[in-house]
Amino acid sequence: MLKILIPTLMLFPTTWITTPKWLWTTMTAQALAIATASLTLLNWDSETGWTSTNPYLGTDPLSTPLLVLTCWLLPLMILASQNHISPEPINRQRTYITLLVSLQLFLIMAFGATEIILFYIMFETTLIPTLIIITRWGNQTERLNAGTYFLFYTLAGSLPLLVALLILQKEMGSLSMLIIQYMQPAPLCTWADKIWWAACLIAFLVKMPLYGVHLWLPKAHVEAPVAGSMVLAAVLLKLGGYGMMRMIIMLEPASKNLAYPFIILALWGIIMTGSICLRQTDLKSLIAYSSVSHMGLVVAGILIQTPWSFTGAIILMIAHGLASSALFCLANTNYERLHSRTLLLARGMQAILPLMAAWWFIANLANLALPPLPNLMGELIIITSMFNWSSWTIILTGTGTLITASYSLYMYLMTQRGPVTTLITAIEPSHTREHLLMALHLIPIIMLTLKPELMWGWCF
Amino acid sequence: MTSWLVRILPAWSRVRLGSVPGARFVSQTPSPGATGSPAVSGLSPAGHNDAHGHVEVSLYEKNRDFHGFHKDPQVDVWNMKVAFFFGISVAIVIGGTFVHYLPDHGASIGPFVLTCMKSSGMRQWARREAERLIKEREAKGIAILDGNYYDPSKIILPSAGEEK
Repeated sequence: MLKILIPTLMLFPTTWITTPKWLWTTMTAQALAIATASLTLLNWDSETGWTSTNPYLGTDPLSTPLLVLTCWLLPLMILASQNHISPEPINRQRTYITLLVSLQLFLIMAFGATEIILFYIMFETTLIPTLIIITRWGNQTERLNAGTYFLFYTLAGSLPLLVALLILQKEMGSLSMLIIQYMQPAPLCTWADKIWWAACLIAFLVKMPLYGVHLWLPKAHVEAPVAGSMVLAAVLLKLGGYGMMRMIIMLEPASKNLAYPFIILALWGIIMTGSICLRQTDLKSLIAYSSVSHMGLVVAGILIQTPWSFTGAIILMIAHGLASSALFCLANTNYERLHSRTLLLARGMQAILPLMAAWWFIANLANLALPPLPNLMGELIIITSMFNWSSWTIILTGTGTLITASYSLYMYLMTQRGPVTTLITAIEPSHTREHLLMALHLIPIIMLTLKPELMWGWCF
Repeated sequence: MTSWLVRILPAWSRVRLGSVPGARFVSQTPSPGATGSPAVSGLSPAGHNDAHGHVEVSLYEKNRDFHGFHKDPQVDVWNMKVAFFFGISVAIVIGGTFVHYLPDHGASIGPFVLTCMKSSGMRQWARREAERLIKEREAKGIAILDGNYYDPSKIILPSAGEEK
């Protein structure tokens, strides 16, 4: 882990010492080097499941794909922000990069934590740079409202989590993930026990987000600058999923009835947010609601706690992270040219920017879960395991898949096909940087199709 | 021809067919006779002023080979080279090769140790070995798998009449 952490820490001096002319080049190079080094974490050579351990940090097949995704995303965020940040004074650019790097650092420590309290602290700490990125570098006045929703929704969910963790520490004597994975789940007799069960999960359900507590997500994703949207969609939502998967293994089947309302909410949320997508006028809002929809499927998969559903959840988290981030980058290419996110204002772009239309096409195909991409594999595995759990869920998940395909098609047709908007008179050509950014998003998805065992987790 | 120019080189021609051709936005004053003035505010076509009151100049004007990284052409090219080298050649190609040749560890025993007892590693080897054994046994004509895990003749059972 240190070979990842030390270079990430050294990104701070790099940011502040590099000459302004070469700042972005150096950051891109170092961030990509860290991303390459993170691939070595995929070498799981231990019988107990946990590798790369020291007393505080370790990796296992659940956290490693998410760690690699986090490390991969930093250079992509740097590439995506380079253009819109460049008019700003150099020290403000350095501050922006420092926030991105500190977010990266906290996320690495969160995914690598072996002690749940360290995970909790890092989970909360990631809120701070994200809040600053959204409220300082967002483009509309709504960013303040978005930051408030983002911060307080997550905090309201995580204070009960802290109490629950302290109770767990008192009962079990240890909060190390290596130990609690073997402990017998406590029977939930009293009302307080049931509230404890809910308190363990609510923070992560808000973060995922679950449908009823999802209101922060469209605001935060839309108002954030592109790097903020990317890291939110790709990694921060998966923090919630990861936390849930760690906690829920000790909240075992005795919680059957307690889980039902959340499973139903998650499944219903897939359909509701998918339908909302079909009515969106704001492009980024459409992509944000699509994230809620996909994460609803992940939440349902995690809550039923079968080996296959866990596997599907991890695969879908990784695949969705890359695809959703790609879509936000594409939306940003539109935004940088037109300074508007309205779907109607950027129609028929295929006639103007045909190469970018190719990327739009592939990204939307990934979003609607086209085989053989891992998006489909994750969704299919979750849908199958949910069908096994209860046959009625196929109605909801099947309709959800249909609606997902509809809004992905809608997004593609609205932005790329049809007549060019007459209002557009001068569109800057696509940059090499933007093409590279899209390639670096979509090539890993395609490569993961060929080696899915990297993402299967520990249950397959 | 002009419509092709309008589509392909928008930075050079901000107005459409029939209007003043070759109108550019290099000067600091907005172009006169702007027929393309936006009906919707918030759009920024040519002629839109940025925060300092200057007209937005496309970086393609000064540097035909702008890659999107930096306004200095030399830094722009170097940034592009560095990003492509580290991103594609190192991370994807070398990293991908590394990942491809990772040993056959597979997932290990996790939290379901008490319930599922999944095996650790060597999954790909196990499948190859199984296929090899099936092929070998079918060629020899013997049963692929015996119903008994242990050889029944080797199991010594106490006789029915014995008591402790």
